[in-house]
Amino acid sequence: MSDALKYCAESLRKAGVDKFQCTLTEKQMYEMNLEGTEFSLIRTTTDNTLNITVIKDNRKGDIALNRVDHESIDEAIRTVIEMSSTSQQDPDYDISPKQEPQQFVTGPQEPDTDRMYELLKGYSQQVPVIFPQIKLSESILAFNQSVRHFINSNGVDFVTTKGMYSMQSVFSSKDGEKTSSFNYTGFSLKELERDLLDCGSLKNLLQQSVEHLDAKPMQGKFVGDVIITPDCLSDIIYFYVASYLGDRALITGTSLLKDKMDQEVANSKLTLSAKPVSTEIADGYFVTGDGFAAEDVTFIDKGVLKSFLLSHYGSKKTKLERAKNSGGCWVIEPGDKSFEEMVKGVERGVLVARYSGGNPSASGDFSGVAKNSYYIENGKIMYPVSETMISGNLLELFKNIKEISSERIDFGFSILPYVQAGGVTISGK
Amino acid sequence: MIITNLRQYAPLLSQYTELRSQENRVLSIAYLKGNLVQNVKNTTAGISARVYRNGCWGFASTPNMGDVKSVIEAASNNAMFLDARENKGLAPFAPDSPTIEKSFGTSKPRLTQSQIMEFIKQIDAYIAEKYPNLSSRSVRLNCLDMEKTLITSDGASLYSLLPRSNFGVSLSLDKGDGPVEVYESAGGLGQFEDNFTSPEDLYETIDKLYEHLVKKSEGVYADAGVKECVMDAALAGILAHEAIGHTTEADLVLGGSVAGDYLGQECASPLVTLVDLAHTYDGKDLPMPIYIDDEGTTAEDQVIIDKGVLKGFMHNKQSARHFGVKPTGNARAYEYFDEPLIRMRNTAILPGESKLDDMIASIEDGYYLIRPSNGQADTTSEFMFGVVLGYEIKNGKLSKAIKDTTIAGVAFDVLKSVTMVSNEMKWSNGGMCGKKQGIPVGMGGPAVKCKINIGGR
Repeated sequence: MSDALKYCAESLRKAGVDKFQCTLTEKQMYEMNLEGTEFSLIRTTTDNTLNITVIKDNRKGDIALNRVDHESIDEAIRTVIEMSSTSQQDPDYDISPKQEPQQFVTGPQEPDTDRMYELLKGYSQQVPVIFPQIKLSESILAFNQSVRHFINSNGVDFVTTKGMYSMQSVFSSKDGEKTSSFNYTGFSLKELERDLLDCGSLKNLLQQSVEHLDAKPMQGKFVGDVIITPDCLSDIIYFYVASYLGDRALITGTSLLKDKMDQEVANSKLTLSAKPVSTEIADGYFVTGDGFAAEDVTFIDKGVLKSFLLSHYGSKKTKLERAKNSGGCWVIEPGDKSFEEMVKGVERGVLVARYSGGNPSASGDFSGVAKNSYYIENGKIMYPVSETMISGNLLELFKNIKEISSERIDFGFSILPYVQAGGVTISGK
Repeated sequence: MIITNLRQYAPLLSQYTELRSQENRVLSIAYLKGNLVQNVKNTTAGISARVYRNGCWGFASTPNMGDVKSVIEAASNNAMFLDARENKGLAPFAPDSPTIEKSFGTSKPRLTQSQIMEFIKQIDAYIAEKYPNLSSRSVRLNCLDMEKTLITSDGASLYSLLPRSNFGVSLSLDKGDGPVEVYESAGGLGQFEDNFTSPEDLYETIDKLYEHLVKKSEGVYADAGVKECVMDAALAGILAHEAIGHTTEADLVLGGSVAGDYLGQECASPLVTLVDLAHTYDGKDLPMPIYIDDEGTTAEDQVIIDKGVLKGFMHNKQSARHFGVKPTGNARAYEYFDEPLIRMRNTAILPGESKLDDMIASIEDGYYLIRPSNGQADTTSEFMFGVVLGYEIKNGKLSKAIKDTTIAGVAFDVLKSVTMVSNEMKWSNGGMCGKKQGIPVGMGGPAVKCKINIGGR
C-alpha cells in the first residue's frame, strides 16, 4: 500500500469516524494529437486523485484532492469530517462490506510511442487518399495507465493496474461549398495491432461522411422504422438506463419500470448486459465506484427486466437489489439477420447513425435530429438525409424492436449491433 | 495552492514556452427529494508547460509544484519528438507580453461549510413545505474557483481568480400521466457570498418556477412545423454559442465548418450583431471575464457577425497566423493538465430596440420559448435544442404552456429570419461547454423573434 493511502487510513481511524473509504488513483497519460492531417501536439500528464469518503453518525462527506503529502491529507480529512458533520443524517449511507482482497492487472503498462506515431501517421496519410473530401478535425491517439487502490474501513482492499490505448477522431466532409455534418467515433485497444482505419466503425463512418455531402431534407412526416447504428446505440442505451434503471429515476420514483422486475419490458430479441469483467471487453473495470468487486450483469434477458442499475446507496434507499456492477461495457447479443437483410425488411424508415437531441423527458419521451442518417424505402437505402427529426418513447422503442443484426462493432468499451425498431415518428421538412 | 511567483522560472524558458500553475476548487451539494445525494469538495492543482518548436507543440504536466524544471523538460522533449519527425520548420509567433492580475474573489468573510449547508437545507425545506404535491424536487449548488498564474517566454504574465457559483432547482409534478419537470438556475460570476445573501432571496424564483410547472402540467404538445417564435435570452444565447459560435472557432473552420464559406458575406438579418465578448459589456463584468488567455494573448472582443455580415473567427496564436490576423485571446484551458484550445468566452447577440411585450404581441400564432435543456449543433450550423419551458402565442397573447419539445434548423437560416431583437440583455454562466475538455462559458443575449422549426409530439 502506498504511503499516502496508509497514512490516510491511519489518520481516519485516529479521527474516530465510523466508516470510511479511500481511493488513490495514480495516472499517467501519453497523447498524440492531429489537427487536420498534421501532428500538432504530444501531451504527457501525470496526476493523482485521492478520494476520501467518511460517514459518522449517519452523516456523509466526500472530498477529492490531487496532492498526497501528509499536510494536504491532514487538511482534507479535517475538511471532509466538517462536511460530514454538517450534512443531514441518512441511515442509507454506507460502505461496501468486507470482501477478499484482490489485485487486478490488465493491458500494457507502457506506451509504445513509436508504434503510436506510426499508426497515427498512417491514419493521417491514408484518409486523404481513400477519402479526399474528408476534413479531419481532431484525432487523438492516447495511452492511459493507472493504478487504482481502493480500501475501506471494513477491510476491503482492491488494486487495479490498467493500461489502455484509445482513439477518437472527429471529421466532416467538404467539397466546394458542400459541407457534411461532423461525425466522430472512438474505440479502446489493448494492443496496437491493426491500422486505425480497420478498428471500430471508423472507416464506415468516414465513408458515410463523404456520402452526406449530398444529404437532403426528407419530405413529410410518418411513423416508421428506425435502424439504429452501433455508434448511436451507445447514446440510446445511456438514455434508457438514466430514464428507467438508474439511482435518480428510482429514488425519485419517475422510472416507468420501477415495478416491472422480472416482467417483459422489451422485445424478446433483446438481451442487454454490462460485462466489465468479461474477456470480451478490452476496456472494462473490476471494482465498482462504491467498492464492490464487479461482476457481469444481464439487465434485460430476452426482453425481461432482470436488474436495475442501482448503487449501494440507491439500493438501500429504494429497498431494491443493488446492481452487481456500475453499468457501461454494454454488450447486446447478436441477432440472426444481417444488416443487409434488416434494411430489406424496412418498408419506410431511417437508418439513424447519430442522435442529436435533448435528454429524454423523465418518462423517456425523446425528440431529436437524426444526424448522418439515411432514408430507407421499400427495403433500400435511398439517400442521406438532413434536417430530419425522430421522436418517440424509449420504453416503446425497446418494446417495438423488430430485429437485431448478426454483425456487431467492437468498440473495446462495448460491443453493439444494429437494432431495428418500429413506431418512431419521423419528420422531414 | 498555486505558485504565485512563476517569474522566478523565466530563465528556464529557452524556447517559446507557456508555464502555468493552476488550482480548480469545486464544491457540489445536491438534495434529491430531500435526500442529500452529493456533498463533495474537489481540488485539482498542478503545473504545466507547453513548448513550441518549429511548428510542433509539446505539453507536460504534474501535480508536484516542485517539478517545474522537469515539466518544462518533458514538454520540450515532446515537442522535439514531433519536430524530429515532422520537420515543419515554422517560425516562432509574433511576441505579445501583456500583464494583468485580476481576482473576482469575494471580499466578504467566507461562509463555513455548515452555513452553506444550512442555506441549501432551508431552500429544500421551503419547497417541501410549500409544495407538498410535488412528485420530486432537487436543489443543487455548484461552486467553481479557477485560480491560475501564467507566464510565457515572450514576457506575458497573468494572475486570475475566476469563481462562479450557481444554484439549480428542479420541480416535478405527476398527475398520473407521467412526470412533468421544470428547472431554473440562479447565480453566476462570483463566489457564493457575493451571489447569495439569504435563502429567502430565491423564494420568488421558486414560486415562479412552480407556477410554470402547474401550467406545464396542464400544457399541450406544440404543433409541429415552422412557426414564428420569440426565443428568450437563454435560447438565443445557446443558439449564438452552439450553432454559430462553434462554427466560427478557427480550428473548426479549418476542419470544414460551413462558416468558412461565409466570411464577408451576409449570413443573418441586419438586426443581428453577434460578438464573443472578452470581459466586459456595457460597463459590467461578464459571466466569464477573460483579460489574458492561456497563451498570454490580450483578450479582445471578437465581432463574429456585424449587422448580418460574417466578419471574423475566434483564434489562438496558431490559427491567427494561418488566417493572417491577430490572435483574439480565445485560447483557454480548463484544468492545469489541459492544453489551451480555441474556446468561447461570453457569446451573445447584442440587444436591439424592441420590447419583449411588443414582440409577443406581434405574433398571431406561434410560441414564446423560454428555457432550453441541452443543445447540440453541427459544423453545418444545423442545430437541435430541447425546449423545456415555453408557451403558445395566440393572437398576440401568451396562451397555454407547452410540453417538452425540440427546436431544430440551420442557424444561419434562422438568423436570416430574425425580424425583432429585444432591448434587454440577460446572461448566464451555469453550463460547461464541451470540446475535448469541458470549460465554463458565459452565454446570453436579448430575446429574438424568428421563424423556427418546432417539433411536435
